[in-house]
Amino acid sequence: MPTDAVTPTIDDPITSEIIRNGLMVAVEEASIAVVRSSHSSFIQEGADACAALLDADGGLVAQSTTTSLMHSASLRCSLPALLADVPAASMAPGDVFAQNDPYRGGIHANDIVVFRPIFAEGRVVFFAGTLIHVADVGGISVAGLAALATDTFAEGLLLPPVRLYAADEPVADVIRIIERNSRAPDKVIGDVKALVAGTSVIARRVGELADRYGAGTLVRFARHAMDHAERQMRAGLARIPPGTYEGAFEIDGDGVDADREFTVRVAVTLDGSGGVELDFAGTSPQARGMINSSYSQTLSGVLYAVRCFVDPTIAMNEGCFRPLTTRLPPGTLVNPAPPAACGGRLMTVAAAVEAILGALSAARPDHAVGASSLIHVWTLTGVDPSGQRWLNLFYEFGGLGARTGKDGPDATGAFFLGGRSVIPQLEPLEAQYPFVVRSTRLWPDSGGPGEARGGLGVETVIELLTDAEVTVRGARMDIPPPGRGGGHPGAAGTWSVERLDGASEVVPAKATNIPLAAGERFVLRTSGGGGLGPPERRDPRLVLDDVRSGKVTVAGAARDYGVVIDVERDAVDAGATAALRAERSGRHE
Amino acid sequence: MSETGGRYYLGVDVGGTFTDVVLAGSDGSVRIGKVLTTPGDPRDGIVAGIRAALDGAGVETSAVSRVVHGTTLATNVVIERSGGPVALVTTEGFADVLRLGREARVEEDRYDLFFDPVPPPVDPRLTFEARERMDAHGKPLVALTAGALDDVVARVVAAAPSGIAVCFLHAYVNPEHERAVTAALRDALPETFVVASHEIWPEIREYERAMTTVVCAVVGPVMAGYLDGLQARLGELGITCPVEIMESSGGVMSAARAARQPVLTVESGGAAGVTAAGIVGHTAGFDDVISFDMGGTTAKAGIVRHGRPAITHDFQVGGKGSFGGTRAGTGVPLKIPVVDLAEVGAGGGSIAWVDAGGALRVGPRSAGADPGPACYARGGTEPTVTDANFLLGFLDPAGLAGGVTLSRDLAAEAMTRVAEPLGLTVLEAARAVHEIVNATMAAAIRVVTVQRGIDPREFTLVGFGGAGPMHAARLAETFGIPAVVVPWAAGVASAVGLVSSDLAVDLVQTHVTDLPGDVESLEAVFAALEHRGRGELGAGDDRAGGADAGGFVVTRSADLRARGQAHQLTVELPPGPFDAADVPMLTARFHEAYRDAYGIDTGAPAQFVNARVRVVRRVDKLTRQAEPVTPHDASVARAGERAVLFPDLPDPVETPVLDWTRLEPGAELAGPAVVEGPDTTVVVPPGWGVAVDRWGNLLLRREIAQKP
Repeated sequence: MPTDAVTPTIDDPITSEIIRNGLMVAVEEASIAVVRSSHSSFIQEGADACAALLDADGGLVAQSTTTSLMHSASLRCSLPALLADVPAASMAPGDVFAQNDPYRGGIHANDIVVFRPIFAEGRVVFFAGTLIHVADVGGISVAGLAALATDTFAEGLLLPPVRLYAADEPVADVIRIIERNSRAPDKVIGDVKALVAGTSVIARRVGELADRYGAGTLVRFARHAMDHAERQMRAGLARIPPGTYEGAFEIDGDGVDADREFTVRVAVTLDGSGGVELDFAGTSPQARGMINSSYSQTLSGVLYAVRCFVDPTIAMNEGCFRPLTTRLPPGTLVNPAPPAACGGRLMTVAAAVEAILGALSAARPDHAVGASSLIHVWTLTGVDPSGQRWLNLFYEFGGLGARTGKDGPDATGAFFLGGRSVIPQLEPLEAQYPFVVRSTRLWPDSGGPGEARGGLGVETVIELLTDAEVTVRGARMDIPPPGRGGGHPGAAGTWSVERLDGASEVVPAKATNIPLAAGERFVLRTSGGGGLGPPERRDPRLVLDDVRSGKVTVAGAARDYGVVIDVERDAVDAGATAALRAERSGRHE
Repeated sequence: MSETGGRYYLGVDVGGTFTDVVLAGSDGSVRIGKVLTTPGDPRDGIVAGIRAALDGAGVETSAVSRVVHGTTLATNVVIERSGGPVALVTTEGFADVLRLGREARVEEDRYDLFFDPVPPPVDPRLTFEARERMDAHGKPLVALTAGALDDVVARVVAAAPSGIAVCFLHAYVNPEHERAVTAALRDALPETFVVASHEIWPEIREYERAMTTVVCAVVGPVMAGYLDGLQARLGELGITCPVEIMESSGGVMSAARAARQPVLTVESGGAAGVTAAGIVGHTAGFDDVISFDMGGTTAKAGIVRHGRPAITHDFQVGGKGSFGGTRAGTGVPLKIPVVDLAEVGAGGGSIAWVDAGGALRVGPRSAGADPGPACYARGGTEPTVTDANFLLGFLDPAGLAGGVTLSRDLAAEAMTRVAEPLGLTVLEAARAVHEIVNATMAAAIRVVTVQRGIDPREFTLVGFGGAGPMHAARLAETFGIPAVVVPWAAGVASAVGLVSSDLAVDLVQTHVTDLPGDVESLEAVFAALEHRGRGELGAGDDRAGGADAGGFVVTRSADLRARGQAHQLTVELPPGPFDAADVPMLTARFHEAYRDAYGIDTGAPAQFVNARVRVVRRVDKLTRQAEPVTPHDASVARAGERAVLFPDLPDPVETPVLDWTRLEPGAELAGPAVVEGPDTTVVVPPGWGVAVDRWGNLLLRREIAQKP
């Protein structure tokens, strides 16, 4: 790879655009390779993964867009730890490194990060990075869902930055350590190999571009692209009215200290010239439970929320982070001290997102949004008739918050998760596992009432064909997604079990290894999104549409909106509605 | 062209702007009719185009023995949601199968708090649950009782929908309940279009199967009426042969099947283009080609390997272009096989602009046909790709189809809009626009090549469509592709593809089993599909008019996956009955395909998921006659010269302009050159040479080593 062989410079917009496309294709291609060859349906369908190109200093150059946004900052925050332990000068072509330490830029034990240095003329010019949630790396719970972990050592094997491959061959000692610490050694090694294969894809494509344009040109491009994204970010931020806006979001619990309150607080200060400061002072101290968010994860959430208020097409790279000054008080939920458990960091990250969206909704009332439901995760496991243990990690989404002038989307990955997070289909699941899904449908009346209504949650009933155990990890179930500006919260999601004797048992939001007998049913309902504006102001015709489409019941229309539906005529009873609404507003005054 | 003896075949491709008609004789003669598309009723344009082609050739309508049609009707109905109200009948507990979908977000939307989810194609009040349930092995968990059947039929009848889709869980393994409900609905509503999921595409994955079935029911009534009307209009002309339709995977089917299973036509036009590229490539001596079709608003890239178009099973109608993989949430997902096309919003009309950060961008907004590029002087003021190409000297100021004269002043004025903020001259800006649109189109080619693990350097680029031949050689350079073929009728290549194709049908049956499994039952699955395929293609009939060139060709393939993984890979099987001896070969091929796709080995055992069969029936079609090649200097067709600015050169160079209609096989010239045809312009960059082959195609070859 020659450094300066070729003439085109990066001042030339054409070459710049071509390289931009080329690098995006490289990281996208790598993410597809990683996702497809991984052994976990969580990754295959949920795209809990990412692939990126970083510069020699750890700055993000290009990142896959089809993967989860939770990892916007994961790779760029992890690489400095590798560089601190293993100086770039001591790396050799064919080296690949792995790490997962949440206190050094990582996420939690199951999210393994892999880096491959890319060389030109004998020195490292870029790093290819990939990340997925791997199958199992030990810890107290199968597949890394240690809902009740109280420190990070209970969550699985921790890897400081270690050499995973040397001269393109696996380092056997490290591979054996990972294997020995997993309940599913074949799967986890398959996942690790997929990560390595992903970095090879990036290195190969970057090599091809460097052959054509020169590695020096690529390095100049990277700086140029970061500067460009920074300018775009600042231009967008400068358009938000300057001032300090406060936001807060309460998490419904950490599953350990039932009486504690957990709140993420933020003060967002816009200077009017493109800079933004996000100060999380006042955020609750870190939890004993696993809801703590390492700093890289909080940063992912912060950047996501801010980006919702600027041009959505800005390329994701280091330049996006530059206008942000983020203050994360140590020892709090958003920047815990070791060895706090971090497996459920999504609760805190998503609370940070909601707190910022709330603050900026006040800055931009024309662009406001209610709170959304969060991913509901559960695991079913059992032993099949042949004696083989089976296990599947499931997830389901609830409703999104209402938007100014628009209802919230139903049952969709939260704004933050979004993207490729899709729900697996039932037929392939039933073909592999001993259960039958009896029904899955939108849950009527679960959308938070408001002038704009929150999106609906989902109700699913699963009947077990063999004895099994269920482990659940729910969020925004005890405290459902709040509304804004007079809008009501969405319905609170629930887990429950229908026993053979007909009894129905409520399962807490977070619980481990609840036994289920063959023939018993597991019922889940996901929370609805928060409403926006007072529901009494909702246009009765929209309420009628909701009744027609089954999103709101006739009783719900009267109870939540003060709208009386004449079922016979399939119409709004205007007189009765006016009377009911007048009576309610009178009562309020 | 002879008036007596011989048969004639018509290819009719309806595009957004033009309706292209190709009239081909069994003697290899060809006549073209190109007329404006009539969006109100496309059949008006079809009839006018056919009339023009027949009159021009002096051919009697009675001599037409085959009409093959490429239509975007199905896609338009789905995207515009212009079909009638359709009912979905599904398993109790799953009425929301379409509304819930995959609960996906599109990546482009993720920072957009105000995104709109794609609305489901069925009104929730027209979704009906039937009390029944199969398990994954096809065993009834809840039997469909007579009472349950009567109940659901009565509710559907009362709603009086225009079409009905029936999709029950696990019907791909046991369609008994679907069959009973479908039959009862057809009895009760004999005039209504009813389709069941097992009839259209019996493959596992309920959301996509239901959507495929629903799209069929949405399009069915419209398609049937359209095709009946077309047949009648052709009858008035005196053309009596049954109309045939290009289906999405590049085969041709009867209009009767298209009316029954209209979802199969969603990528009818795109399939015709890739098919044409494959045929042209094959005759020119290239079996592995990249098909590159560039029109006014979009460019499409596809590939042909070993003479066959690459196929995807993850198609999204109206889906957004992307970097591969399934694109849940972007459009209406279908499981049927569709030519694997990457489409990008980059065409002659794409508009150039400067973004907030000061970078030059091209597209996806297009000036379309109205007002069109600025140089057309029809009121367009924004700079387009066509304006850039014109300013660079690629287009002739005097001549454009339809007698449009191009205005250099207007093109330059528009280009100033992006040149000024960037501090570039008008010509520099034009060059930048040309190169950026090339980069966008290169991304589409990457999707169908490198992202599928295919090295484009082993391929030949076939460039066609109104704007494709202008960009083809430059794109080839980007990928290190040494040769480009511009088809002899580049402007109507898709219509040529229609009239050059055989009848074909693709069928699938899900049959999940660990290998080796029960080999006899696997063979039974394949044999049943094969039998059905031959029946669909009219085995036993003599193709009225004797237009049967004889013979069926059957290809078998299987989808396998590593146990425990969701993604599956398709591997080919040898023809003929499948037996135990084939199992090791099948698993070996799977493991090889796995390594190719992912670069690593899977330790997991292979699991059989789907059986696939494609049956092709060879029929009479256009067979182009080769002409003798006499090498000679193409300068004899020289029509003039003009200054052209090529991307790699600092200044414009005087470049010879050739008149394609005067080029004979064997004509050769070293670039740079511009070849002007009746409806397309071919750019031969410096360092490339052009030669006319014995079929009349232009073969562009890079003559000097690529720059370092």
